[in-house]
Amino acid sequence: MQQLTIERSEPGMNGKDSALKPRLKRRSTFEYVAWVVCSLIGIGVLFSVSTNPNFKWDVVAKYFTHESILRGLMLTIFLTVASMALGTLLGLALAIMRGSKIKPIAATAGVYITLFRGTPVLVQLIFWFNVAALYPNLSIGIPFTDISTAIDMNALMAPITAALVGLTLNEAAYMAEIIRGGFSSVGKGQIEAADSLGMSGAMKMRKVIIPQAMPSIIPATGNQVIGMFKGTSLVSVLGVAELLQSAQLIYARTYETIPLLIVASLWYLVMTLLLSYPQSKLEQKYSRATSRLPRKAKPVVLTDPEGAAR
Amino acid sequence: MSNDGTILAQKIRKSFGPKTVLKDINLDIASGEICCIIGPSGSGKSTILRCINGLETVDSGVLKVNGEDFGYYETENAYHALPPKKLAEQRTRVGMVFQSFNLFPNMTAHENIMSGPVLVKRADKKEAAKRAHELLASVGLAGFGDYYPAQLSGGQQQRVAIARSLAMDPEIMLFDEPTSALDPEKVGEVLAVMKDLAKKGMTMVVVTHEMGFAREVADSLIFMDDGYIVERGDAREILTNPKETRTQAFLKQVL
Repeated sequence: MQQLTIERSEPGMNGKDSALKPRLKRRSTFEYVAWVVCSLIGIGVLFSVSTNPNFKWDVVAKYFTHESILRGLMLTIFLTVASMALGTLLGLALAIMRGSKIKPIAATAGVYITLFRGTPVLVQLIFWFNVAALYPNLSIGIPFTDISTAIDMNALMAPITAALVGLTLNEAAYMAEIIRGGFSSVGKGQIEAADSLGMSGAMKMRKVIIPQAMPSIIPATGNQVIGMFKGTSLVSVLGVAELLQSAQLIYARTYETIPLLIVASLWYLVMTLLLSYPQSKLEQKYSRATSRLPRKAKPVVLTDPEGAAR
Repeated sequence: MSNDGTILAQKIRKSFGPKTVLKDINLDIASGEICCIIGPSGSGKSTILRCINGLETVDSGVLKVNGEDFGYYETENAYHALPPKKLAEQRTRVGMVFQSFNLFPNMTAHENIMSGPVLVKRADKKEAAKRAHELLASVGLAGFGDYYPAQLSGGQQQRVAIARSLAMDPEIMLFDEPTSALDPEKVGEVLAVMKDLAKKGMTMVVVTHEMGFAREVADSLIFMDDGYIVERGDAREILTNPKETRTQAFLKQVL
């Protein structure tokens, strides 16, 4: 009793109850130094950027919403959406092929993935643009019959087609690996359970494997979308008037190279930020720890009596 | 038709790479028989079950389930693998309950039970839903249909898994250590469901460490060791009075 009183009444340095004092984090000298150095660098960069007249911020502002820039942005968005969508579909097919028990099918997918992941996208894009040199005429027809139509490859592989083909085929290889990774995250027991119920291969895929692989596929796909958005700038080498090429076309005339590159960069940055918000939301939603339950699961309210067997 | 619910195995061999897990297995299980398989781990108990369900294929020997060659058809010189559709059909007649439940986590308890009849047998959805309801009630889980597996305890999950297998109306039920992954206090509720099933005349093959269950429910008992069936006979007889020294040694350890 007495001891307790003694401890209680022990005054802190300035009379405050010791038990109620907040606990403060330790700040090292390094932390203070870091604050100062990083602030100085930040201020320096900002100062230089805002005072250097060569940045020509008025030109940036003028072209930021310029019609041809916006048209380029639209094309960039189109290329991203189209090649992601087609690439994902083709990637899904490749992932399923890769997991096939039939050797030649699995090997074909394997070779495809190796080829397309092992060469730079830029090279692939230029290759598809020039594929007419390899096959001047593409003829589609039924084998061993005379029924066929020849298509002029040069006309077919217009810059935008080449861009779409190149980006799609490359993306498919990456998506195939992501999807395959998702498939392999589904437990063996799940597949055995489906087998023991007599499910067919396609049924297993649709009802058991794909729904469970989604949590690991979706966040990675979000990352790919962001990467693809910036990756579309590569197709400017084919003369496709997407965002970067639109900026290039303007500064080729006006010689305002830096301001227009800033315009393009700002748009890339804005779009990436816009995309990364839903991306991080998706990642949270599908993170293993928080989503052991499907999205539509009801919270557990055990109003029923605990179900004893009998 | 009279062969429904029977299992016949003759000289079955099965190896995984260099390791032979089943050596000369001979089995004859009658319709409605409750057979427990016991033995040390790695003795091949689970592999037998997995062969009867087609999760593994046997290397050689005769395996007839429900009176039909399982997974293969016999010609003069060889056994030829059946097309997947035919194999799937045979599998629907054999239910399997796993040690780790293996419920589909993306489906509710109700959907799990309906998955077999609706997706595989193309049964009428309303009928299947009604049946699923009855099955849930029969395993003591009426009212739990809307819960996802992750919201259920291990014992409850295993009972849903049993109901899922039963929904296919199999003639044979295989249980692969159904209570091994459960808390000791949840074992009873799963065994109760299994006892109930045994009373209804289902052919059951149960790989288990629950000697109490074997003694109480099993008609016959198999003791396996190192890929061989060491001893087979009446369950109570073997448990109280084992003939083989290996069986005696094993039972001494576990009882």
